[in-house]
Amino acid sequence: MITFTSYPTQQDYSAHSSTKHHPDVAEDVHMDLYDDEAFAAGAKLTLPGEYLTSSQAFMRGHGTYVNDEEVIASVAGTVERVNKLVTVRPVRTRYNPEVGDLVVGRITEVQPRRWKVDAHSRQDAVLMLSSVNLPGGIQRRKLESDELQMRTFFEEGDLLVAEVQAFFSDGAMSLHTRSLRYGKLRNGQLVVVPPILVRRLKSHFITLPCGVDLILGLNGYIWISKHVKESDQEGEDGFDAEAVYSNKNDDIDTATRIAISRVSNIIQLISAHFMPLTGAILLEAYEWVVEQDCGTKDLFQDDLGDALITSLRARG
Amino acid sequence: MSLSKAEKSYIQTGLLSNPPLRGDGRTLDDFRPIALETGVAPLANGSAKLIIGQDPHGGGGGTEVLAATKLEVENVQDEGADGGRVVCSVTCSPTAYPNLSPGALDDLQYDMTTILHQTLFHPSLHPPNLGIIPGRKSWLLSLDLVILSDTGNVYDALFMAARAALWDTKVPRTRSVEYKARQSGRNAPKDPATMDVDPEEQSGFATRKLATATDFELADYWDEGEDLGGRSGWPVAITLNLVSPTHFLDASPPEDSAAPQKVLLAFSFPESSHTKLQAIRSLGSGELNVPQLKELIATGEKYAKQLFSALNSKLKEEDIRRSQKARDRFAKR
Repeated sequence: MITFTSYPTQQDYSAHSSTKHHPDVAEDVHMDLYDDEAFAAGAKLTLPGEYLTSSQAFMRGHGTYVNDEEVIASVAGTVERVNKLVTVRPVRTRYNPEVGDLVVGRITEVQPRRWKVDAHSRQDAVLMLSSVNLPGGIQRRKLESDELQMRTFFEEGDLLVAEVQAFFSDGAMSLHTRSLRYGKLRNGQLVVVPPILVRRLKSHFITLPCGVDLILGLNGYIWISKHVKESDQEGEDGFDAEAVYSNKNDDIDTATRIAISRVSNIIQLISAHFMPLTGAILLEAYEWVVEQDCGTKDLFQDDLGDALITSLRARG
Repeated sequence: MSLSKAEKSYIQTGLLSNPPLRGDGRTLDDFRPIALETGVAPLANGSAKLIIGQDPHGGGGGTEVLAATKLEVENVQDEGADGGRVVCSVTCSPTAYPNLSPGALDDLQYDMTTILHQTLFHPSLHPPNLGIIPGRKSWLLSLDLVILSDTGNVYDALFMAARAALWDTKVPRTRSVEYKARQSGRNAPKDPATMDVDPEEQSGFATRKLATATDFELADYWDEGEDLGGRSGWPVAITLNLVSPTHFLDASPPEDSAAPQKVLLAFSFPESSHTKLQAIRSLGSGELNVPQLKELIATGEKYAKQLFSALNSKLKEEDIRRSQKARDRFAKR
């Protein structure tokens, strides 16, 4: 089936060529952020080029610049202040890692005793051979033979879930997979969303009742896979190297596959509307879709997608 | 795009299962929605932009191609050819392929240019109205395409954009001009030969046939010119992505890396005669035997026909939209 649509109509910006404010507001435009209440009053959004504060009283941080003794935002985002330092945290940005974050990444390179991992950050992350679980017991020392067969654990293109362990001096993050929940990913597909949409949650491993497991990486990579029972995940003696580093998928039935693609379409739709992702919202959206009984791909039709978003927003 | 073995096998198993399942819920012969607009570059003689699979909500994503044609006058004696020439080039924006080195990008561009040039500018498709003065002047038609982003199925997008831009192309009307010696010939008084505009205007073609015509001028007329000849014959291409024993259309990037073998088929559907297969390309690794290929051509024709009629109705819709827009603008004045 082939459908042609029109380009979204361009908005006419000609009327806005000069910034105009309502006469009542005109005086407030240059509202100074000097007093602390302005900062305390919740997140303030800025546009690039917007006046923030005077540079004599404040220091400029990331996302700002100084012009004519004024601190001006250089990106669109939220204003943050630490003592006298004013920064703007951009809305659209690469992932800024913090220690303890859960991320999903893809191996880009195998190097001596380490893997390079693409984790949607500014630099590739590093996964040291010493920070993965080696086969044959968790507390085993790494051997020279392990160094020679690193590709049997992870090879280029492999997806993995890991935790940010530390930072190197150049700002690159170091990952570790020393937990039974971390490691290689299989039985599913990846969806990429802007990192800002994934919030820090109690748990980033979400199980939806439709037989789908979700891993919401804080870096905006989301892994959607077939549900694996908790008991199977652990294995008998706690660690089963065969299963952990396996490249083979389990048998996935049609219903699960449909559920996986449905969830991935829902995530893409929600991220297109720039709504933050949580397990609750996804669950709600999934139930709505099942209730409407629409096909998986129908979600990309304007009206249906909009209806879903409206119902999600109404819920608040 | 690199994929893990597990992802690859997940996609392949899904495509081969019964019923076939794709990552975004499409069936095997579903296209992502295609957005098309013609007349986007005011300085070009014809232009179009096309995007496959963009978020309907104005978000990013999708394979975006911009195509434009430009006509230039050439001397037949120098490098031009009698009856006009056509040249095609494809440029890949580095932002579309951020992980390719400049050298690799050049190679990719070159490959795409070759495929497009050889298919579109085959002698059988040559537009009839690119000549200006036989043996002297002709139009050089340059078709330039820019790939602004690539999220799979770039060849189909290129051919569709090229077809839309060529459909949109207007060839300026010209009128031949000749030097007329005075009746009395050389014996005439010193009065120099005067330049005369050919008074006959009812047929542009008749004046062109004048063997004495030496130069031309642009006819002053209300529109931009006449349509490029044979515009209904421009081909559309369809890429069949092969996962033996089946195939699918409009691969997304993960599907593209999971099923690297492709066959590109370009068909043209001239109004007067039968469907013509204009080009076959096998892309990626793997081999095909003749019976397989025969079957693929037959199914490919069916898909191409659908694509062709959908594209045609969209192009006509665009023509109506633009003439309406022009009329509105005129009324406002």
